[in-house]
Amino acid sequence: MKKSKLIRYSFYPILFCLIPGVFILFSCLPAFSGEAGLASRIKNATQKMDKKNQVEASIPKMKHIIAVNVEDQGGTFFTKARKVEINRFKCSACHNNKSVAIDNAARISHADIQVVHGNKEKSLACNTCHSEKDRDFLVAGEGTKIDFDHVYDMCGQCHFRQKKDWIGGAHGKRVTYWAGERVVENCTSCHNPHSPRFEKQWPKTYSVPLK
Amino acid sequence: MAQNIFRSVKIDKEDLMDSDKPKKINRRAFIKGAASTAIAGGAAVTAGCKGKGLLGSSEAFALEFQEYFKTHYRLMTQIEREKTVSRLERIARLKQDMDIKIDTTGPSEKVLYGYAFNVTRCEGYMECVQACVKENNLDRKSNTQYIRIFEMEHGQMSPDQGDGKYFHMVPKEGHFYMGVQCFQCDNPPCVKACPTKATWKEPDGIVVVDYDWCIGCRYCMAACPYWGRRFNWNQPQIPREEITRKQHYLGNRQRVRGMVEKCTFCIQRTRKGKLTACAEACPTGARVFGNLLDPDSEIRFVLENKKVYRLKEDLGTEPKFWYFID
Repeated sequence: MKKSKLIRYSFYPILFCLIPGVFILFSCLPAFSGEAGLASRIKNATQKMDKKNQVEASIPKMKHIIAVNVEDQGGTFFTKARKVEINRFKCSACHNNKSVAIDNAARISHADIQVVHGNKEKSLACNTCHSEKDRDFLVAGEGTKIDFDHVYDMCGQCHFRQKKDWIGGAHGKRVTYWAGERVVENCTSCHNPHSPRFEKQWPKTYSVPLK
Repeated sequence: MAQNIFRSVKIDKEDLMDSDKPKKINRRAFIKGAASTAIAGGAAVTAGCKGKGLLGSSEAFALEFQEYFKTHYRLMTQIEREKTVSRLERIARLKQDMDIKIDTTGPSEKVLYGYAFNVTRCEGYMECVQACVKENNLDRKSNTQYIRIFEMEHGQMSPDQGDGKYFHMVPKEGHFYMGVQCFQCDNPPCVKACPTKATWKEPDGIVVVDYDWCIGCRYCMAACPYWGRRFNWNQPQIPREEITRKQHYLGNRQRVRGMVEKCTFCIQRTRKGKLTACAEACPTGARVFGNLLDPDSEIRFVLENKKVYRLKEDLGTEPKFWYFID
């Protein structure tokens, strides 16, 4: 084709198809850069922050917390103490080699605890976790003593994945405040050690249709 | 020629009876009369209303009158904000006999709020829903809930396919539970849709609504792809003893009929360092809340170590609410 005819015949297609087409293709660029917005902002925020001054509010110091013996990604963190929650600690007040005379001993003895932990056929026994030599402590598989406050070491023997998640923050719950020193619930704050699975229950409320 | 026409149609005055004569009144006299009647009538009505106490005490009336003329929250100076807060607190004291504390804490520079939801751990108890309703002074009559929990069968991905109206013992076999609320998008379509700019994204990531600037057109509700917003079709009714007294101007202060509201990540709590009501209420610890800009935070651990996903990622709204599995 001659050059002038080529220019004449291509004028309208270029004006009404190609140039708008290019505009349409480039209009999706803002959508692509959206990913760069939030994700890159989070990735670039690598500077360690002071736990105390992220918000302008005073976080009260919590009582009955103990420092965990492993560190999380931010250093030391705390969990709730367990011994204060057990009514009749110390256990060795009764569980010693002497004979004891206690009022209502039959009622306060805990021979009636059902252990629903582990397989139905091969459930855990009392002495799997409780030390026979010293009732004030728990005992790990190798025989090392574990304090009640550091019960996560006990549970973490089998539930090591949950323990790793708990240290990081994906398992468990933080207590009341998201800012300030990190205080998290202990294993036994939520799970009954003798029957740890959450029970079925009715929902607290119901929802009506939105539309 | 014109003169002739007029003369031919001229009515003879003597033929008319006295009652048929058109009564002529001067325009000036008419307006004077109408204005004086209106003023006298208005004064009588106002005096009558005030006397009966229908407008409340005159102090409450004066405060509400001043409140009507306030400007947009973002354009207010700090002094104007304090003034409006004290007016609102005083009105609540006078009209409802209640002591409330309205907060205007601003965003913190180092904070960008993020939320993660553990789909494996949610058992459908709906304790979060109940806590949210109590904390944010939601209308009990229409059962407004910011959070929706959906019961989904294994394999389903989208809440559209789930059941949001379940009410039976939970968890049901073969199902998992997933919670949906306003995701505080980083590229919020609701903010773009608002014709009066009554909703905006705060620097710490929370998308807020100035309730007194909202005209109730519900364009934002149409724009939101996640059904995050709620509208007050009726005047909110909350039992007096359940009203949360610690409020934030952009958060859980009392709304009236005709306003759009939504989850604000409990702005009255989170700006003071507390967890959101839903995260605190969850008994299984399925909700993780924190500061996305803090590299040591739990939300960052979840994003870096867990399999996370967001809903409707293809729309480009950049929600700050991730779902993850154990």
